[in-house]
Amino acid sequence: MATLDVRPRLLDALSALRDRVDAARFPLPLPGAARARRNRAELLAQLDDYLVPRLCAPEAPLLAVVGGSTGAGKSTLVNSLVGRRVTEAGVLRPTTRTPVLVCHPDDHHWFAGSRVLPRLQRVWVPMQECAAAAYEAEAMDDDASADAVEHEPFALRIETDRALPRGLALLDAPDIDSLVEHNRDLAAALVCAADIWVLVTTATRYADAVPWHLLRTAKEYDVTLVTVLDRVPHQVAVEVSRQYDAMLEKAGLGDVPRFTIPELPESADGSGLLPATAVAGLRAWLAQRAEDPAARTVATARTARGVLSSLGSRLPGLAGASAVQHAAAVRMLQSVEEAYGRAVERVRREIAAGEALAGDALTHWRGHPHDSTPDELLNALTGSVIALLTCAADAADEGIAAACGGDPAAEAALAPRDPDGASGRIGVAVRRWRRCLEEIAQEEVRAAERDRGNEAEKTAALLAAALLGGGRAGAAGDTLARTLGAGAALRLRDRGGELLSDCLEQVLEGERDRRTAPLEALELTPDHQVELIAVLSLLQKER
Amino acid sequence: MTAVPSADEVGRFWNDGLIARRGRPDGGSRPGAEPERLVPVARPLVPAGPRTTTSAAGQALRPRLDALRELVGLSRARLDRRTLAEAGRVLEEAAARHRHSLDLTVVALAGSTGSGKSSLFNALARAQLSEAGVRRPTTAMPVSCAWTDRADGVLDRLGIPARARRQPVRPYDPALSGLVLLDLPDHDSAAVGHREQVDRLLGLVDAVIWVVDPEKYADAVLHERYLRPLAGYAEVTFVVLNQVDRLSTDAADQVLDDLRRLLDEDGLALGEHGEPGAAVLALSALTGEGVGELREALGAFTSRRCAAELRLTADVDGVSARLRRAYVADGRPGLTERARQEFEDRLAEAVGAQAAGLSAERAWRRDAERACGTAFKRVRGWHDRLFLGVRARHRAADDDIEPVGYASPQRRTASRPLVERAVRALAYEASAGLPDPWAQAVREAAARGAEGLAEALDEVAAVAAETAATCAGGTARAVRPRWWAAIAAGQGALLAMQLLGAVWLVGTFTGDFGGPWWLPAELLAGGSVGGPVLAWCGRIAARGPARGYGLETEHRLRGAAAGCGRARVLEPVAAELLRYREVRAQFVIAAGEA
Repeated sequence: MATLDVRPRLLDALSALRDRVDAARFPLPLPGAARARRNRAELLAQLDDYLVPRLCAPEAPLLAVVGGSTGAGKSTLVNSLVGRRVTEAGVLRPTTRTPVLVCHPDDHHWFAGSRVLPRLQRVWVPMQECAAAAYEAEAMDDDASADAVEHEPFALRIETDRALPRGLALLDAPDIDSLVEHNRDLAAALVCAADIWVLVTTATRYADAVPWHLLRTAKEYDVTLVTVLDRVPHQVAVEVSRQYDAMLEKAGLGDVPRFTIPELPESADGSGLLPATAVAGLRAWLAQRAEDPAARTVATARTARGVLSSLGSRLPGLAGASAVQHAAAVRMLQSVEEAYGRAVERVRREIAAGEALAGDALTHWRGHPHDSTPDELLNALTGSVIALLTCAADAADEGIAAACGGDPAAEAALAPRDPDGASGRIGVAVRRWRRCLEEIAQEEVRAAERDRGNEAEKTAALLAAALLGGGRAGAAGDTLARTLGAGAALRLRDRGGELLSDCLEQVLEGERDRRTAPLEALELTPDHQVELIAVLSLLQKER
Repeated sequence: MTAVPSADEVGRFWNDGLIARRGRPDGGSRPGAEPERLVPVARPLVPAGPRTTTSAAGQALRPRLDALRELVGLSRARLDRRTLAEAGRVLEEAAARHRHSLDLTVVALAGSTGSGKSSLFNALARAQLSEAGVRRPTTAMPVSCAWTDRADGVLDRLGIPARARRQPVRPYDPALSGLVLLDLPDHDSAAVGHREQVDRLLGLVDAVIWVVDPEKYADAVLHERYLRPLAGYAEVTFVVLNQVDRLSTDAADQVLDDLRRLLDEDGLALGEHGEPGAAVLALSALTGEGVGELREALGAFTSRRCAAELRLTADVDGVSARLRRAYVADGRPGLTERARQEFEDRLAEAVGAQAAGLSAERAWRRDAERACGTAFKRVRGWHDRLFLGVRARHRAADDDIEPVGYASPQRRTASRPLVERAVRALAYEASAGLPDPWAQAVREAAARGAEGLAEALDEVAAVAAETAATCAGGTARAVRPRWWAAIAAGQGALLAMQLLGAVWLVGTFTGDFGGPWWLPAELLAGGSVGGPVLAWCGRIAARGPARGYGLETEHRLRGAAAGCGRARVLEPVAAELLRYREVRAQFVIAAGEA
């Protein structure tokens, strides 16, 4: 079978795809992001646990994962298939906390290393201690981090038994609808690693929504699937199985092999083993898949092909989610930039209108030079500029809050507002501007050889008034021109104006960058989307 | 049976005393409601007519429902409809439930597919009323069984069709009299319609018996979708572990313990040791084991006749817990004295009160110096004033050159950014301890008040400047201190002394006058030294009054600005805070914390 020869180029394409999927991130809490994150984790798990190892080693034993809802009798089924108690079964739910893999001793080396399920630690301790260890692992995990899917120290126990044919491994998975959330994730990951999905349901459960969801997923991936209807009381066996067949038929799963296991006293308490006759059919079916090369190839190739072709629909989904993230980031950046752009414009307009020459500054200007000293005037003007800028920055932040109001993505990705810190930073920047102004005033005064008394200070104050007063302080310009000469006064005003405009822009840009810094750090580029699609098309060419 | 009143009637008359008349047959309740129509809802009504005994739960419930209704009315303008929808629904349900007899206890059997709800239903009714079978899902339509003849109204409300209404074998078991039992469809099958029906009916019934079985008792869907969110309804919840006949006794005990543990983890209070909470029982509908205990428990529960009120109380608890975020936030809401002071300080800064005070002080001192200065200085002062007057007129002319579109210059004195900042800081302070919607309202009130504030402050500053200008004109200074005149006279005398001394000295040297030369010389020296000394004394003396005058100017301006701010911003904000406090008080009552 061509599909299952080792094909280096296909593997290269797959590993490139794996890296891309691994690199995809969905940090913004947008609708669909949680789903995309889960899809990504599942896809990664399926690539690492199943597809890559299977394509690398087509001759590796088949892995049949037994999955189903709580209390469906998965562990009892596995024990019965093996013929001894390899996994704990009981009446308390959830029973299986550490998944157990059973294989023939000769196949042990396939599973001992990290070829499949590399994220699961192999546990070798005897059964009772193992359960305790698993509990401890869970407790530790709760303490550490609940959401870091990659680092969960899940364990996998490996048992060997000669009762199983060579080339077949059975895996007893935890419940797919367990109350323990970790178990649910683990179960999903394990089911994804299977060559053969064995889905177990019971006479009371066959109409439940959860198993049907899993069945539909199996159909979507076109995996090799077998269903087991467990715990069927004798008196209703015929009716129930007919009913179940009808439901499967309706769901388009009519050709799926199904086995019925009657309810026996042994299964009721969950402690014993079912008689070999009860599970003979399933056992024979599985053994045939493992031993007959043709059937085996069909079973593995079908699942592998199914998963490969499911990539065609799943990757675009991830790419779409990635594009949505990027679009949201761009939208947020734009709204921040617009708000601060408006702030710069507003400050410019207000300064041109002489808005800074108001309040204290205006009074001091009116009283200058008789009632107010140049220092007072300069102080008041500096304060005015600080107020103007702080106000503009606040207004910009408010504009952002209004534009992204209630958007959790904006709350998560934009730095929080910091009015106090902002006014501090603005104060520092404006006072630096003031010192620059005093320096250039001093230079000009020296050049004009009028450096006596507080002439430099006076010049600086007049210059500030001329720059900030708009049309209101024409007299300041006149005085400057009179004392320093028209050329020098013009030069001074030009330099001062440049300094002022630099200061304004720097301050507001600084504030803007502070807000957007966390968003920029997320590096949400459109590349993810493009690359995901690119690796997908490469893969499709290789198939 | 009475016609179902329209929704708005329900809305207005839910508490019109129907509870008081519940002892009567249902049919008699409507006409009696008429006379009370005009009573405003806000006031809790004392029901007219003789009240039959009502449970403690019912008595506690009424004021809470009143408060919740008031709360919804008060906050409709502030909160969005979605937030209030649940409260509205609870009120509606309460009204609807109160229209039916509270003697009836509506209990639903809910559970997963195949847990044996229908079998248990039949076992309780002692008749094959609901179809039980192995086909999954079995029950697609809810079936009712009423141990009373007066259940039709309730069943209409629940939307149980007539063909699904069953009666137990007559005569009714007196222990269960008043019980209306419902057999619900499953909540977890692949048939989506069933789940919707279950969700709808769970919102309407008084109590629920959750039927679980050994296989499914730990299903995530049962615990996460139903038992955890419904944890507050523990008092009207039974949890029964069915099919214990499938387990050995030991195993059954183990499973029951594990079920208790899971329920405890769900947050459901368990009714053990006589505490109120959910009853957990093990039974087998097939063999009848344990069914008798459930009947007993149900009988006791029904005879207490308070299931509906307990359920409604839990509803109100739930809705107020979910509304808490919209009404209560950490921190104490309200304007502190410091925040008000800061606001006024900022406004004063915006109109330049401090600078105005400073310049008024200096002007006063200059005037004083001029008045007390030596005669020669005075002459120079006249010259300066002439020059200064020209300068001042220049400044005024400068101000007139304004860009088009701005108000006239004299009126644009207040610093807009400072005003904006003052209002923003105040709104921030005032809304600090408030939940979001109310904080928004406070900010809006502040922003509305701030609209004309800058212009009003301009006006204030203009008035103040006018007063100052008339003062500075000199001619009209209101209180020209007497001592200025005295010092001016002294300066005149000293000048006369100088002149006299000078003339005399010249006369002495030329020989026109006799006498010693040192006398006129002393006169001259005394005059020339005394003038500056007197001026210096005047300057020292002027320092205090000048400072006082400056402070007074500053205070006047500050007071005027603060008054402006108070009227336009502080008061609306305070009013908004007051409204919030009212609402919060109602919330506290509704949440049962009063």
